[in-house]
Amino acid sequence: MRKLPYLLPYLLPLLLAFLLAGCGKQESDLPVNTRLGGEFTLTDQNGEPFSQAALNGKVTILFFGYTHCPDICPAVLARVAQVYRQLQEAGEADQVQPVFITFDPERDTAAYLKEYLPWFKANIIGLTGSLEEIRQVAKQYGVVFIKDQQEQDYLFTHSDYIYLLDDQGRVRKLYPADFTIDEVVNDAKSLL
Amino acid sequence: MPRACFKFALVAAVVALAVPAHAELTFSDPWLRAVPPVSPAMAGYVTLNNDGEEPVTITGVSTPAAGHTMLHDMESTGDGSRRMVHLHHLEIPAGESVSLAPGGKHLMLMKLTEVPAPGETVEICFHLKGGKDACTGFPVIRQSQTDG
Repeated sequence: MRKLPYLLPYLLPLLLAFLLAGCGKQESDLPVNTRLGGEFTLTDQNGEPFSQAALNGKVTILFFGYTHCPDICPAVLARVAQVYRQLQEAGEADQVQPVFITFDPERDTAAYLKEYLPWFKANIIGLTGSLEEIRQVAKQYGVVFIKDQQEQDYLFTHSDYIYLLDDQGRVRKLYPADFTIDEVVNDAKSLL
Repeated sequence: MPRACFKFALVAAVVALAVPAHAELTFSDPWLRAVPPVSPAMAGYVTLNNDGEEPVTITGVSTPAAGHTMLHDMESTGDGSRRMVHLHHLEIPAGESVSLAPGGKHLMLMKLTEVPAPGETVEICFHLKGGKDACTGFPVIRQSQTDG
């Protein structure tokens, strides 16, 4: 203990550096994922062409799924809606855009998405297209989806990540389907 | 009165069939996830408790609200994807519970006759090995607390 006063000049800078590193970590930007994402054009729920560039200027919460999925996809939609509502309460929802891309264009037509999505009250843009177009976008985001051809009411084996894009359309973070609402809210705010 | 006797016998038989099933299988926190009115399917969750001394095996599920009801499980594939698999039966060991929860085992209601709205309750029956049924009401909830 007697040595403590002598050690203080050495310990203090170390302590400060440690504290600053901690602070820096909290304030640092989310890293840009350069392997995922990119330009795409699909069809929105109004039947109009929708380019990824239209999302520039907004933080985007992007996710893939299909409306005939009973468990994961409605749960993700409900969670994204919760994120959106929290951002609404914070007065920042107008700078954030949730986007749902279906990989089931056969059943998830633009007209169907237009009926389905407003129920979630989260201003979700629904995108569909040809299977080829959707495959290309899925590839850009590393999304895997395989149609299980067993019955008429087919299901999909699929990956279920959620992507946070910054206002330049760059992927900044991925989340699992059971993401924490607060985490996405805080990350989205950090990009505004 | 023979007719009264017949009715009494019928009621007694129904009660005799129903009571043991309920005595073995009980339900905790049943709920259906509310979905848009145009949805073709919805999922249900519950904890199934076997309070008896023998295993209980569920061989099927049905509800008047859906043309087709199945027990599903979620299976992870090697590439990070997940898929649903049909559970043809589900055994609950004596004295144990099995949870049907989001992202795991769940009920899948397909060919919905009419999509039940939040606040409504849907009766769902579990068909047990041996021929008995255990039924309970599933309230439709827009957002569960467990959704976090």
